[in-house]
Amino acid sequence: MEVIINTGTSIIQAFYEKKGSTLKDEYRQSTAVAFMDVKDMEKMSLKPRDKIKVQTDWGEVVLFVDKSHDSPHEGMIFIPKGPWANIVISPETYCCNIPTYKGIPASITKTDEDVLLVSQLMNKTYNKYNLSPENLSDKPIYKKKED
Amino acid sequence: METPITDYDEEVKNCSCSYCGNNCDDITYLLKNNNIVGVRHACRIGASKIINDQDQRLLNPMVRNEEGLLEETTWDEALDKTAKLLYESTRPVLYGWGETSVEAIKKGIKIAELSGSVIDNQSTICHGSTIQAFQNVGHPVMTLGEVKNRADVIIYVGTNPMDDHPRHLSRYTTFPEGFFRRNGRNDRTVITLDPKFTNTAKVSDEWIQFNMNEDYLLFNALRTILRGETIEENEIAGVPVEQLNKLINIMKNAEYGALFFGLGVSQTLAKQKNVDVLIQLIEDLNRYSKWSMLPMRGFFNVSGFNIALTSETGYPYGVDFSRGYPRFMVGETTTIDLLNRREPDFFMAISADPGVQFPGYSIQHLTQIPTVQIDTHWGPYTELSDIVLPSTRVGVETEGTAYRMDSIPLFMKKVIDKPENCHSDEWILTELYKRVETLKNGDEN
Repeated sequence: MEVIINTGTSIIQAFYEKKGSTLKDEYRQSTAVAFMDVKDMEKMSLKPRDKIKVQTDWGEVVLFVDKSHDSPHEGMIFIPKGPWANIVISPETYCCNIPTYKGIPASITKTDEDVLLVSQLMNKTYNKYNLSPENLSDKPIYKKKED
Repeated sequence: METPITDYDEEVKNCSCSYCGNNCDDITYLLKNNNIVGVRHACRIGASKIINDQDQRLLNPMVRNEEGLLEETTWDEALDKTAKLLYESTRPVLYGWGETSVEAIKKGIKIAELSGSVIDNQSTICHGSTIQAFQNVGHPVMTLGEVKNRADVIIYVGTNPMDDHPRHLSRYTTFPEGFFRRNGRNDRTVITLDPKFTNTAKVSDEWIQFNMNEDYLLFNALRTILRGETIEENEIAGVPVEQLNKLINIMKNAEYGALFFGLGVSQTLAKQKNVDVLIQLIEDLNRYSKWSMLPMRGFFNVSGFNIALTSETGYPYGVDFSRGYPRFMVGETTTIDLLNRREPDFFMAISADPGVQFPGYSIQHLTQIPTVQIDTHWGPYTELSDIVLPSTRVGVETEGTAYRMDSIPLFMKKVIDKPENCHSDEWILTELYKRVETLKNGDEN
C-alpha cells in the first residue's frame, strides 16, 4: 500500500528517550511503531503489534503496527522520531538545512521479519565496527578497566 | 493507583527542569541520602529525565579498541586522543549544545574558533528556517507570561505541545488564570491546525485538519481572506473555505492573539517559506488586533545556543570558523548539508544524539570518520562513537544558565552530586581547549 510518512514526537517515545533507556526493549516497543488509520489497517488485514516493512527511496525498515490515536488520517502513517524512522526519511534539505522529516512517500507491506533493538539496528544499518549482531542486546557491551 | 512518595528526607524547591523549551522553574525534587527519589510538578517527560535510567548511565571515559569494542580508559588518555583528532582534522564539526548550559556553549565557541571548526546545534534540523526568517524580517515577540495574562485566542500550528511540551497549556497558555483572563480556560479560544487529530487538538475548541505538505497554500489562503478577497475554490489544502473564513473572523476579533508553531511547519516541503508567510499573516493581523508568535523550541537550551552564538559571532547556528573568522551560509555550513556532501572528517556531538535525530543517509558518513560523544547516557550514537566522554546533567548535577523558548534566561541549580568519574560539559570542554591550544602552540614554535 502507498502511504505518506509523518514523523514527530510522541509522549511515550520522548519519555524513554529522555530517561536514557534507548537501548532497551521499552524504547523499541514505543518508538519502532507505525501508527496507522484503522481503515488502512483493515484494508491490509493488520492487527496491532503485527509487523510491516516500510520502504522509501532512502531505505527500508521493519516496524510494529498500532492503531493511531489521532485518526482519521487515511493514507498517512505516523512514526515517532528515532533511529527507525531515520532510515526511511529523506535527507534532502533543498539547501535550507532541514531534512525532510515529514511527508515522504512510502510503500508498506506485511512482514514476519524482526523489529531490531537499537544496537542491532545501528550495527546492521551502518556497520561501522563489524560487531556480530548475535552478541548485541539491550545491555551495553563494553570492556571494563582492569585495575 | 500509585501511592505518593513519603519516604524522603529533603525537599529542594524551585528547581528548573532540563527537558523542553518551557524550562518549568517550579519543580520540587525529593531527596533521600543525596539521591533523587521523587519529583513534584514536572511533566511525565521532564520527570523521566530527572529520575534517569542509572543502568545506561555513562560512568567512565571510553575509547574503541582494535576489536571495535568500547574500552574504559582514563580522562587524560581520552581527552588527549580527542584533542589530537580534532587538531589534525581539516573540516571538524562540533554539533549539539541543546541540552547543556550557556557557560559550556561559550567554551565550545572558543574551541570552534581555535580549531577552525563548524559549530552547529539542533536548531539546524528543527527551527533553523524559523530563525533565518526572524533574522531577515523580524517577528512580533512576546513572553509566555504575556500569553498567560492577556491572550484570549491561542493558535497552535503544526505542533502538539500536549505530547512534547506537556505543561505548555497548563502553565503558560490555555488553562491558567491570567490578570485579564480571570476564568482561565473559559476566557480563551484555542484552535489547532494539524493534519492529525493530536492530543492538543483534543483539548482545543476547534481542530482544522489540512493536507500534509500543503501548509504554504493554506497560510496564503488565510492572508488572502484577511485582505478581504474572495476565494473561488470550495476548499484549500483539504479545508473548506467556510471554515477558513470563520477562523480569520476569530483571529481578527481577538483582544490578544498568540500563535505557536512547531516542526509541522518548518520540516515539511516548503520549509522556511512556511514561516515567512506565517510572519506575514501575523503582521497583517496586527492591523486589526494585537498578535504575536513564538516557535515551540524543543530542548531546554537550543534558544540559549542561538542567543550565545549570535552575541559572539552574529550568526545563530551553523557557524564555520575554517577561515579564522565566522561565516554562515544556509545549506553550506550547516551540519546535515555538510554530512550529505561527505565533507566533515571529525564529528563531535555534545549532549545530543545524532543517532536519534539525523536521517540515515547523513549518518552513513559518520561511519567513515572519527566520532566523539559527550553525553550522559548510552544511546544510538554511542554505537557509532570512537571516543565517549561521560558528562553530567545540567540542572541536576551541574548548575548553569538556560534560555526559555521566549528568550528569558533562567538559572538552573545543582541539586545532587555528580557520579564520581563524570565531569560537567564545561570542565570537559575547558580541558579540551587547553590540549588543543598546547598542540597548536607546539606546532607554531
